[in-house]
Amino acid sequence: MSANIYHNRKAQWLAYIGLFCLLALVPALFDSPFLLNQLARYAVFAMLAVSVSLVWGYGGILSLGQGIAFGLAAYGMGMTMQMQFQDPVSDPVPSFMLTNDLSTLPLLWEPFWSTPIGLALTIAVPTIFFIGFGAMMFQARVAGVFVAIMTLAMLAAWYAMAYDMQPFTSGFNGISPPMPFEFAGVSIDPYSPTAYLICVGFLAALTLSAKLLMQSKFGLIVQAIRDDPERVRFLGYNVAYYQVIVFAISGFIAACGGLCWVMVVQYVSPTSLELTLSVSAVIWAAVGGRLSLLGAILGAYLVNGLQSYMGDELQDVWMIVLGSIFIGVVLFLPRGLVGLIEDALGYFTGKSETETSGVAIERAV
Amino acid sequence: MMSLLELRNVSKRYGDFAAIDGLDLTINKGELRCLLGPNGAGKSTCMDLIVGRQRVSEGTVSLMGTDIAALSEHQIARKGVGRKFQIPSVFKELTVRQNLEVAFNRNKDPFLNMLSFKHFKGQKRYDEITDLIGLKDRSNTVSGLLSHGETQWLEIGLVLMQDPVLLLMDEPTAGMTEQETYKTSQIFNTLKGSHTLVVVEHDMSFVREIADVITVMHMGKLLAEGTITEIENNPQVRNVYLGTEGIH
Ligand SMILES: Nc1ncnc2c1ncn2[C@@H]1O[C@H](COP(=O)(O)OP(=O)(O)OP(=O)(O)O)[C@@H](O)[C@H]1O
Ligand SMILES: [Mg+2]
Repeated sequence: MSANIYHNRKAQWLAYIGLFCLLALVPALFDSPFLLNQLARYAVFAMLAVSVSLVWGYGGILSLGQGIAFGLAAYGMGMTMQMQFQDPVSDPVPSFMLTNDLSTLPLLWEPFWSTPIGLALTIAVPTIFFIGFGAMMFQARVAGVFVAIMTLAMLAAWYAMAYDMQPFTSGFNGISPPMPFEFAGVSIDPYSPTAYLICVGFLAALTLSAKLLMQSKFGLIVQAIRDDPERVRFLGYNVAYYQVIVFAISGFIAACGGLCWVMVVQYVSPTSLELTLSVSAVIWAAVGGRLSLLGAILGAYLVNGLQSYMGDELQDVWMIVLGSIFIGVVLFLPRGLVGLIEDALGYFTGKSETETSGVAIERAV
Repeated sequence: MMSLLELRNVSKRYGDFAAIDGLDLTINKGELRCLLGPNGAGKSTCMDLIVGRQRVSEGTVSLMGTDIAALSEHQIARKGVGRKFQIPSVFKELTVRQNLEVAFNRNKDPFLNMLSFKHFKGQKRYDEITDLIGLKDRSNTVSGLLSHGETQWLEIGLVLMQDPVLLLMDEPTAGMTEQETYKTSQIFNTLKGSHTLVVVEHDMSFVREIADVITVMHMGKLLAEGTITEIENNPQVRNVYLGTEGIH
């Protein structure tokens, strides 16, 4: 009896690398700025789905607050890009602030004069916030549905803040930096192959690192904690410590997504902190298969592709369509679409329950 | 003989109700102690207090002379206390092998574990233990697919992989068939002498098979302590058990 190739580590790495090579080839095959920009957005959504797969699929932490890291980073990037446009002497204050009766630049905005510091804050602030928030939750042993509720409440709080602090964030209108992001003297046009490849590069680097991490002992222990935290605790591990770390890593990934997002849309508003985005990310991961980073990526591309090409009459009822897809997946495909692939490969290449070759079985992909 | 574990005047109260009430218990190194008592006597609570899952309201718990009552669960586990739960708990999505790997891993630091990809160092111990618990040919089976009895054995295996100085086993044969119970008693007899064990059991034929000294608890207090014959002939114990299902 041979092993299911789906569980073979080498085959898994090949599949991951194959997918990213394919994505990287897109600009060479299609000369359409619109398509590239759209696919860059999908790559950003895929990062968000990977963050969900890591924290929920592997870590068993159902976070509905991945949008917090995404949104905070989006604002950081928006502020960085806005300040690239401002001039320290002739025009130091963004125009939306002037219309909100702010005549000097708020202290909060000062560091964003510097692009490197702005970028560092864009990633560091959400990650550090996730460390603190995670420590608070997991030290108190909040688990299961209560994590979902707490992350949701926290997301709502950040949304309200972004919305209400009009002079600092431009509230509901959001911030639209007038110029594309400029890095090391190069302007990155959101519709260019460069912007697209940066997004795919981020996605590939983050996913492969996360995959490697999950194949280490750390990843094994994280999965054990998902199955039974109490058991892990009595084997001598500090469970909260591990949970904070996965949570923070997932926040870091979502933050990278937020950064790339504003680079390709040149706009940030409270919508990135909306419940819809965070919940959608959970659904993308569930549809593709939350136990697989690759599955989560596929889920993000498929669901968003479906939404884009579904036709206008269905757009109004999109949330209903999405909800139905989610319910269908939960009921009939608990391992998501990659579960089908697992079964199909198992059918052709061997039994899935056990395996006899020397390679350790990998349930989660 | 040196005492490994000592409970002195330990109480655990939930409001007005004392689940454990002034309990003294001494376990010596290398012994196998059976803990008996009717439902609700406080046996599981007693184990919870030792491993830090519950906090004592009063009294001291010391392991090899150091007070452990204030330590957190993972610290107590690192001091060498292993616990098997009344409701078997294993990692259902992981394979038998992965389950035992998590238990064997001596390195508890997350960042060091991120750098560890090595194929498992505990092969020798792994072989010994899978032999003992009879799961050798199930190494790559996802543990959620194991039978109830096998799950119990796997959890015993997890605790053994930890290589603890003190093993606390809460109803290891619960839900097992007669044959499985017999096999479990063989496992325990193998462990006897080289390990220190406290075993909670209701199944008297199992207790007869493995026990040296038996401690009987009732309503959070120590009722009697002695060999199997002493306990079976103890009028107080008979009285308590006749009130419930009777000792058999
Ligand atoms: N968290 C709690 N709050 C209140 N009472 C509790 C709590 N935990 C246990 N008890 C009570 O303490 C008593 C002892 O319970 P324990 O589980 O230790 O009994 P046991 O001897 O293990 O019984 P069994 O043989 O049924 O497993 C019971 O009356 C139980 O209802
Ligand atoms: Mg009990």
